[in-house]
Amino acid sequence: MRTGLAAIAALLLVPSAAMAIDYPSPKDPGKLPPRPNGQEATLHVCKKPRCFHSIQEAVNASRGGDTIKVANGKYKEGVQVKNKGRRGLRIIGNKKNPGKVLLNGKSLKGAKAQNAFFVNDVDDVTIRGFKAKNYKANGFFLTNVTGYLLKNLIAQHTGRYGAYAFNSKGGTMAKSEAYEMSDSGFYVGQTPPQSKPKRTFLKNLKSHTNVLGYSGTNMRYVTIQDSQFWNNGIGIVPNALDSEDFAPPEFNVIKDNEIFWNNFNYYLGAPFPVTGDETQTGVFPFPVGLGILLFGGRDTLIEGNKIYGNYAAGFAMIDQLALEQEDARTVDRNTIQGNEFGLGGMDLNGRDIAYDGSGSDNCFGDNGDTQNNLPADNSELVACPFSGANGVNTDARNEMIQISVDKDREAHWIKHPHADKAGYTPLEHYGG
Amino acid sequence: MLDRRSFLTSTAAAVPLICSVGGKTYDVSTAREVDEADAAAAKTPRPKASAAQSEFPTPQPAPGGQVREYWIQARSKRWDIAPKKVDEWMKNRITGRTTFRAFVYQQMSAGFADPIGRASMPGPTLEAEVGDLLVVHFRNADKRLNQAVTMHPHGVKYNPEYDGSYLGDYTRAGGFIAPGEEFTYRWECTPDSVGVWPYHDHGPNHTLNTMRGLFGAVIVRPKGAGKPDVEQILMMHSFAPQVTRLPRLFQAVNGRSGAGNTPTVTASVGQDVAFHVTGFDSNFHTFHIHGHRWKDPAGTFVDNPGFGPNETVTARFTEDNPGRWLWHCHVFSHQDAGMAGWYVVN
Repeated sequence: MRTGLAAIAALLLVPSAAMAIDYPSPKDPGKLPPRPNGQEATLHVCKKPRCFHSIQEAVNASRGGDTIKVANGKYKEGVQVKNKGRRGLRIIGNKKNPGKVLLNGKSLKGAKAQNAFFVNDVDDVTIRGFKAKNYKANGFFLTNVTGYLLKNLIAQHTGRYGAYAFNSKGGTMAKSEAYEMSDSGFYVGQTPPQSKPKRTFLKNLKSHTNVLGYSGTNMRYVTIQDSQFWNNGIGIVPNALDSEDFAPPEFNVIKDNEIFWNNFNYYLGAPFPVTGDETQTGVFPFPVGLGILLFGGRDTLIEGNKIYGNYAAGFAMIDQLALEQEDARTVDRNTIQGNEFGLGGMDLNGRDIAYDGSGSDNCFGDNGDTQNNLPADNSELVACPFSGANGVNTDARNEMIQISVDKDREAHWIKHPHADKAGYTPLEHYGG
Repeated sequence: MLDRRSFLTSTAAAVPLICSVGGKTYDVSTAREVDEADAAAAKTPRPKASAAQSEFPTPQPAPGGQVREYWIQARSKRWDIAPKKVDEWMKNRITGRTTFRAFVYQQMSAGFADPIGRASMPGPTLEAEVGDLLVVHFRNADKRLNQAVTMHPHGVKYNPEYDGSYLGDYTRAGGFIAPGEEFTYRWECTPDSVGVWPYHDHGPNHTLNTMRGLFGAVIVRPKGAGKPDVEQILMMHSFAPQVTRLPRLFQAVNGRSGAGNTPTVTASVGQDVAFHVTGFDSNFHTFHIHGHRWKDPAGTFVDNPGFGPNETVTARFTEDNPGRWLWHCHVFSHQDAGMAGWYVVN
């Protein structure tokens, strides 16, 4: 039974890291070098003779603290920012209208086709005012950095991730949009544990039409706030996996977001290659129809979110039973409070809360009148504060697993009509 | 015990301002010397031991106690010492520049997501009861001064990990929070913590940064004790011109100078009123409320108790005397330079 359960649990959800790409080896970002001395310059990228004619040329000529201003236009390049000495580099397109500074990877080959921007081991880089489209791996990708600002960005169909920070300490993603990703719109993963953490802020983001709106494998010290996640397979998924270091996710805050209509069944058609269907690729499947899924993780605060119109469940939480690192499997000390489910009855979730009693010290408070929870007797919704083992309800666990692994992704949906929302259209099946 | 002579000596204006930063002592009598101290603070290396993991058990609330959780950031901001440009007591106009770059604490919502109230002097008041555990998530959110800062509390119990003090080579993790970093302090409210206590920066440049405004109060009440109907924190301090770059010295309460700028406290007859007054500079002060008397801890009626740096006195009484009253420090050079305010009883 145990083996069988673990095997099934492995099928629950595996937001894979970008395994197809040859990334640099992770390492500790380490101490910051001193800020560069001397005059900081502004470099221009445009079509005029005195300008650099590609962003990469300007980056190659830059020093730490410089600003690169990129004129409106279409750029066919995959920009790489390397060399620690470029700390504090600012690359600025059109902050008010990012779509006017388009990086298109469509006809590129090799490394340039992978990422619109790739920052490795350069701290405090700012990238603002760009749209990236048609890359194979990621739109905006940073690894091994301490601090960054990604703001006023659009990523469309850029491979696995729109904006992606890996093995990094602190940073901000803000006022940006990501869609049509085969994994997640935004991703922060493998955050090194720190005794005095540098927090990562994700705020005012829009993520839709992706497999996952946000995914964070072994993420920590992340605050996700004031953002919208809709029309994804799942809205937000902090998760513990062996594929990256530093499990589990911990010390994260998910606050004041709007998480709705995450019922995009991309298995039946999508604007990106579907790699999550084991019948095609051998990779494990993701469930569809969840607002927030906490798949392993501890010390998470989920507060003040509006969660509605998700057909499987608004919020779900379960141990990561298949994790090899046994001491990181359980969901512990997570607080779910002050959230609003179902838009006041106007746009109900299939189930508001699905929680099988995994882990310990998890509690629920002030979430309003939730409906159709799993288990139905609300016995797992213990009030805050709570200390002790929550107590697994085996029936509820089995039902959650069944919801996740059923190859008919919609078999366990409980559909309700959506409320009208100006400017937004629900997406369940991709038609074009 | 402070006698009259030593009290007057200690409050004399000629006392130099001394800061020890990065292995050197600075007589910060001029703005240039303040700059040198700031530069030394910005270069203070991270103590080797400061990143060490705790060897102490993680404090927990006592049985029946609660976790009182706060998210507080430190940041610098422009601060107007006299927004009304007048001291209403003597109708003195306050001319010239009154705004400088302060360093202050600010309460945030969980995850440092959003501000809860303004960044201010004093910082957010931390409240708890005996048996509770104060869990303070602290973040150095400053982007300008480039210095490590901390939160160091008085009155509550903590192990060395949560002292919040820079101690050179002996600094623990909570004693050096560099810009962008955060740290969670855990302070126990034991029976001997009952009272009102200050907290403040105790990082490598604590003297200057406390003078810039990094201070606040902790209130620990007996279990189940109610709050007064009116409760006011007043922190008496001064803004030296070399620190603010302003043309004159301001005597201040809660970062403001002159009646009308400092807090105007209001109460009604019959209400339970408490003023908690703390000294937050190198001077000694007194606290006097016109028309009122109250008992000190020894049971003696007083109306002008003295107190020293980081010492708190509480004036608690049942209001019985309506009218507009003045409260002030009775050190004459302080009261006439702005260390005063209104108390209005309906």
